[in-house]
Amino acid sequence: VTAFGIEEHILVAMARQVRDGDLVAQGVNSVMASLAFALAKRTHAPNMVCVNIGGGVDVMPSPLPPSSVAPQWIHGTPVIVSNADLYGHMFSGRFDLFFSSGVQIDAEGRINLTVIGDRQKPTVRLPGAGGLPVVFQTVKRVVLWRARHTPNIFTEKLDFVSAAGNVTRVITPLCVFRMQDGRLALEQVFPGTDVMAVRTQTGFAFATVPEGVSEVAPPTAHELAVIAELDPQRHHRLEFR
Amino acid sequence: MIGLDGCDLPEASGFRRIRDPYSPTEVYAIPAIKPDVAVIHVHEADVQGNARIFGSPGYDLAMVEAASTVILTAERIIPTEEFEKVPELTRVPFFIVTAVVHVPHGASPTGCYPDYDVDEPAVLEYQQRVQREANIEDYLQTVIP
Repeated sequence: VTAFGIEEHILVAMARQVRDGDLVAQGVNSVMASLAFALAKRTHAPNMVCVNIGGGVDVMPSPLPPSSVAPQWIHGTPVIVSNADLYGHMFSGRFDLFFSSGVQIDAEGRINLTVIGDRQKPTVRLPGAGGLPVVFQTVKRVVLWRARHTPNIFTEKLDFVSAAGNVTRVITPLCVFRMQDGRLALEQVFPGTDVMAVRTQTGFAFATVPEGVSEVAPPTAHELAVIAELDPQRHHRLEFR
Repeated sequence: MIGLDGCDLPEASGFRRIRDPYSPTEVYAIPAIKPDVAVIHVHEADVQGNARIFGSPGYDLAMVEAASTVILTAERIIPTEEFEKVPELTRVPFFIVTAVVHVPHGASPTGCYPDYDVDEPAVLEYQQRVQREANIEDYLQTVIP
């Protein structure tokens, strides 16, 4: 058995959200999202089409550059889709999947990336949501992920609602939530945790899915080999520090 | 535009929600941003202000369309005849441009695909040296020949 950590386990859980044939978009500054797409493309979703933030289409450099705007992301692309044009394509409802995250995430899968505290006099000014308000409303499936799971992050009330919309899953180091009737429900847990542990670490109440909570299947040897090839320096682990 | 429902941004930014006159939905009317000046760096320009941008133009074109004064900095100045041979490659039309400045390596220490990549050590040096406003002039003296 090849060794893996929660980082790789989350990564394969994200990749498995990709369906073969999906049209996906890859945002800025996320090694985990780009790796998840590249992993899916190399395993179960060879017909996925990915537009990256540099404007490249279906460019999957191996190993992946640590920067999401490195020149390798447009080297060899048949077309450059500028960021402005990307939103035009999103407005037409073509995009299937987008990975995102939030500093705070609530029970409806809404996120805060704007401020902590009062908006006029914030304790912390966050980077802002960029185009995410539009992405969340126009991309069919938005999957959130977060490298930590605490009651402050998974909170009852956001300090600011930066984006809200079509979130279908939320993946954390403890579990996978699925959207069910507008609220997150616990679908799966990672090995070594259970429903009670997730409740303790979550700031909002949640139901469990009707079919019962299962365990996230471990990465296969093939998935781990592809990850090692795409990210030999393990840049993706930096996001968990 | 569509796509802002359910978040606090429209209220915080004063965006008005209006009925779409052509469909039974509601949309947001976003106030126009009207910059006085836009400065963008391009790969090739002629002296009149026609410009080619290789790689992704990002939001450069939206910025120059919105601004009242447009300044181009260019890696290379090339003859207008080159633009006339392949007008499809021209991304910025000369008639919106106020000034063209020949600035080779003008995007440095960031990148200008495909001419040069981000110079990471130089970005780190910049970050360290301009932490105090007083040092900015000194930094500029050493990087601008």
